[in-house]
Amino acid sequence: MISIGIDAGAATTKAVVLRENEIAAYTIIPTGFDFRKAGEAAYREVLSKCSTGDSEVGKILATGYGRSSIGFADKTISEITAHARGVGYLIPAAHTIIDIGGQDSKVISIENGKVVDFLMNDRCAAGTGKFLEYTAKALEISLDELGMLAEVSKNPAKISSMCTVFAESEVISLRAQKTKKEDIAAGLIESIILRTTSMVKKLGIKPEVAFVGGAAKNPGIVKALEKALDIRIKLPEEPQITGALGAALFA
Amino acid sequence: MNDKIVENDIFLKSLDFFKDAFPGRINQILKSKEEGKKIVGTLCLYVPDELIYACGADRVILCGGRSAPIEAAEEYLPRNLCPLIKSSFGSVIDQKCSKTKSCPHFGLVDLIVAEATCDGKKKMYELLNQYIPTHVMDLPQKPENQNALEYYIKELESLKDVLEKLTGNKITEAQLKNEIKSANKTRKLLHAIYELRKKDSPPIRGTEMLKVLQQMHFLSPDEFRKNLVLLLDELKVKKRENIGPRIMISGCPMASGNTKVPEIIEKRGGMIVVEESCTGTRAFWDLVDETKEPMRALAERYLKIPCACMYPNNRRIDQILKLAGDFNVGGVVYYTLQFCHGYNIEKYRVAEALKKAGIPLLSIETDYSAADTEQIKTRVDAFLEMLE
Ligand code: SF4
Ligand code: SF4
Repeated sequence: MISIGIDAGAATTKAVVLRENEIAAYTIIPTGFDFRKAGEAAYREVLSKCSTGDSEVGKILATGYGRSSIGFADKTISEITAHARGVGYLIPAAHTIIDIGGQDSKVISIENGKVVDFLMNDRCAAGTGKFLEYTAKALEISLDELGMLAEVSKNPAKISSMCTVFAESEVISLRAQKTKKEDIAAGLIESIILRTTSMVKKLGIKPEVAFVGGAAKNPGIVKALEKALDIRIKLPEEPQITGALGAALFA
Repeated sequence: MNDKIVENDIFLKSLDFFKDAFPGRINQILKSKEEGKKIVGTLCLYVPDELIYACGADRVILCGGRSAPIEAAEEYLPRNLCPLIKSSFGSVIDQKCSKTKSCPHFGLVDLIVAEATCDGKKKMYELLNQYIPTHVMDLPQKPENQNALEYYIKELESLKDVLEKLTGNKITEAQLKNEIKSANKTRKLLHAIYELRKKDSPPIRGTEMLKVLQQMHFLSPDEFRKNLVLLLDELKVKKRENIGPRIMISGCPMASGNTKVPEIIEKRGGMIVVEESCTGTRAFWDLVDETKEPMRALAERYLKIPCACMYPNNRRIDQILKLAGDFNVGGVVYYTLQFCHGYNIEKYRVAEALKKAGIPLLSIETDYSAADTEQIKTRVDAFLEMLE
């Protein structure tokens, strides 16, 4: 028997297959407009990846923003609980999780894979993946390029707007003032890091610190976060699947 | 999202009395107004009801908990202002239904007795005064100061004059004592109900209790008390089994129409057992000393309300810790309205104190819109999963 965890995120849907407590397969696909369709697609895909049929599937657990749309799941849990469990499995020494996702960002204190406390920013796009996505567009570069560019900056620009919409126009006026692209990129990353570190500090930082979510795949952001927190950060091999993994572990 | 509310949940019949009372109350006010009775509107617990009733006037609460009037209010008030203030003001100026204002009770009010609490309300009262005569009572901002009590008594004396002028009646000591006695009876009944909520199987949910307390300053005191007696009787024989984590709500008031957060908490499986709020314990906790000179006794009681507009406000933190212990609370949901600086800033010290006491805290800052419902559900789910 296998169990499956599905993380129906706002930007991407992730699925993990767990066989005898080991990850047998995983997949990450764009969510698009319909959580349910994306959930089904991720389910099909992850099953075919480990050449398994429906009959072998035991429990299915859904998590993430769209968890309730995954009608074929046996149960749902919040992504905060799921990430804690998933990270606890991959990095047993982790006590703090930083998750910068597409739609929100959160910091979770954990003890043996269990949530002890958490903070979440979900009211606006500031400090989330969306912030970088939009502002990178104003620079006409991709997210990956943004991270790489930022690394070569010697003089990060000061981005004072927390609000994504205003930050976008700030970027445009910085460009008009002929500020170097890499400095703007570094400034944008600094701004998102500032939001995140203030949450981390509020909650209290306890090593090891694990970084998950889409932004953790961006080396520029990882470096900036390590610098700001003055700490080495642990990255799971695939930082985007800890929620789905946690859900599968609960199944 | 699938809600997890327990199946076979019990039904409290007496709650319908509170629910059904609304139209009757409006008619009753209309009738007594025709007979010459003056109607006073209030927006805060610092205004003693007892004085209003002792003067032969009637009182309705004007605090707005609905989002509908906010749009109209934003033509006058800044967007980044507490929704309670905007909603209350919006009810006055939005004249959709008739010449009388959109909100049925605003149109009935002869005088608003307001109070100097938060900046947003104070400034809103200046505008409100252009529509309905508004008397703003001053409050000592440092209620523990030596002369605070004397000052507040003076303000109550002026309020007494204002009310006497409005109604043409004199407030006698006997009448005032009478009103104090009745109000204390109501407070004691609420204490008795809250006592039952301390049990392992509390008979009443937070969402139900909230709807009762939202009627407290709207119904006539007699009717409210009569309904409380019926409720208490029913609660004595009912209980709720298999309740989820025991939750305390602490923070901003939830004016009538605003039930979003408690509803999410209880639908997701939590059980609210106490609320440190103006639609909760702050509304009835302290009694008025019936043995003392009534104006002084009133002043003493009302100054004790631990509102975040006051400085210092350690008494609120002490109260939160005490309630958490007495009601065997598993976690606290700190509820604030957006742009309510008092309660939002005070959150830091409350969080510190709760952390020290080992009580988990979830903070939710929101407004009257439904836009953040799903996000709140995620946090509440995670919080409840953490407490389980
Ligand atoms: S929170 Fe403060 S200002 Fe608001 S009703 Fe309560 S006592 Fe009055
Ligand atoms: S909730 Fe806060 S800002 Fe709003 S009226 Fe009450 S004290 Fe003022």
